[in-house]
Amino acid sequence: MGDYFVLAISCIFVNNILLAQFLGNCPFLGTSKKMETATGMAMAVIFVLVLAGIITWITDTYLLKPLNIEFLRTLSFILVIASLVQFVEMFLKKSIPALYAGLGIFLPLITTNCAVMGVCLININEEYTFMQSLVSSFSYAVGFGLALILFAGIRERIIIARVPKPLQDTSIGLVTAGMIAICFFAFKGMV
Amino acid sequence: MAQSMVKEFTKGLWAELPPFRLVLGLCPVLAVTKSVENGIGMGVATTFVLVCSNLLVSLLRNIIPVKVRIACFIVIIATFVTVVELVMQAYTYPLFLKLGIFIPLIVVNCIVLGRAEAFAFKNSPTLSIADGLGMGIGFTLSLGALGAIRECLGNGTILGNTVFGPGFQPFTFMVEAPGAFVCLGLMLCLMNLIGKK
Amino acid sequence: MREMINMVVVLTLLSAFSGGLLAAVRTGTKDQIEQQILKFQKAPAIKQILSDVSNDPLQDRFKIIDNEQELTFFVGKHDGKADAITFETSGKGFSGDIGLMVGINIESDEIIGVCVTTHSETPGLGSKAKDDPKFASQFAGMTMDKNLAIKKNGGEIDIISGATITSAGVSLAAQKAQEIYIRLKPEIQKQTAQMAK
Repeated sequence: MGDYFVLAISCIFVNNILLAQFLGNCPFLGTSKKMETATGMAMAVIFVLVLAGIITWITDTYLLKPLNIEFLRTLSFILVIASLVQFVEMFLKKSIPALYAGLGIFLPLITTNCAVMGVCLININEEYTFMQSLVSSFSYAVGFGLALILFAGIRERIIIARVPKPLQDTSIGLVTAGMIAICFFAFKGMV
Repeated sequence: MAQSMVKEFTKGLWAELPPFRLVLGLCPVLAVTKSVENGIGMGVATTFVLVCSNLLVSLLRNIIPVKVRIACFIVIIATFVTVVELVMQAYTYPLFLKLGIFIPLIVVNCIVLGRAEAFAFKNSPTLSIADGLGMGIGFTLSLGALGAIRECLGNGTILGNTVFGPGFQPFTFMVEAPGAFVCLGLMLCLMNLIGKK
Repeated sequence: MREMINMVVVLTLLSAFSGGLLAAVRTGTKDQIEQQILKFQKAPAIKQILSDVSNDPLQDRFKIIDNEQELTFFVGKHDGKADAITFETSGKGFSGDIGLMVGINIESDEIIGVCVTTHSETPGLGSKAKDDPKFASQFAGMTMDKNLAIKKNGGEIDIISGATITSAGVSLAAQKAQEIYIRLKPEIQKQTAQMAK
């Protein structure tokens, strides 16, 4: 149990997927202008990442490894993730329309979110067991959400501030992200 | 014809320079630019995938049904990414180890899918190659430049050669994660400043 | 309906093409990749263990199939006599497998030395297994009947302070090497005898 806790802390803070591993930066900058969209995106990522983590782990362990075709990993993972996202979208639309209304528009974006693919690959590279993969997928997604929501909060304030013209928009966004990354940097050495 | 090819080629170098103007494909830009070598290696790998996938998508653009085009693009891109992965593993193993999971992640690089969807699916093969090549070279140069700045300030070297005298204190912040964000942000600001004129 | 069939046909053909291409590239690069891994991961470890040999152990190697696993043995010669071998085993560490290259003198059945090849242990603690020569040197000179477990588990190996699990992983790999060596000794002697000619 303690091991899983350490793993979770390390995935959320120390190796934060956005600020330390640089995965999933496109949606990070794209959907962080408003708190509302940021929360929606964070939820969608948590949802899909946990599912994707489980399914890619199963694919790798019970399909690719026994057949000795690990070199097809990239291809099969992206196809699994793409179809998973499509499937989740259809399922939500039919069965839980309320949730679909909240997450729907973010789902197609997730296929090309490298955080999802990245975490699945990390799980395999680190040779995690099934439970470890589950914990790490969930924690990485929580870390993603945490950073995204923090960032959105700051960006909402920046709109009011007077920023020099060339620095506006993405540019100041990146510098801000750098500052948050410094804060997360302080977690290094904690685990 | 030749003129439009030049136009498609050069737009990727400045007017639509991928990481800065389009703000796409940022993850590898931030992650692998700790040194010039890594940045350029990543850029070349991405260029190869970009050109090949653009060419194939453009050749097949009349055959691929519109409804499943994204799935087709993904299969095409993933195939070439795996080719790059295997070739790099076979011939540039140390670089392959350094770039790590960012090679398979070219598959989800928004630039590649973005160009297939926005350009190659609508244009002829020659134009698509020009577009892919231009975008790829623009991407490589950006990565190289960012890598140069970060390696130079953060480590005091460029391509492994020492630049400053022995009294130089490396600005380690630059090669760590936060430095990547700040450096890219400031470069973007500089480009906006020049672009305004 | 026609559209549906069209979609399925295109996707199937595309996937078949992709699979074929990848299988071809894979076959083409397989040997080269093996060479590269040998050169960059195993070679430094082998050189360290067999530092005083007169041949190139990377060239003089043979394979034995053991329990459906292919093991590669690298042979070292002293004065033209093939009397030393190294091979790689692995043990479970704190995060993932630790690869250990073990060198054995086949005349005296003594371990010449061990060297960690791959690991993903915590920098500064577990990584000492690779960087701290004191830990690895404990294994040198041990014969096959010695218990190579860590002292806590009744063996003779002192752990690296702060990295019990890593130390146990390395010692497990060394114990596995003992087992393999004892089991395969006749086969190894046959192969090395051929090498000596």
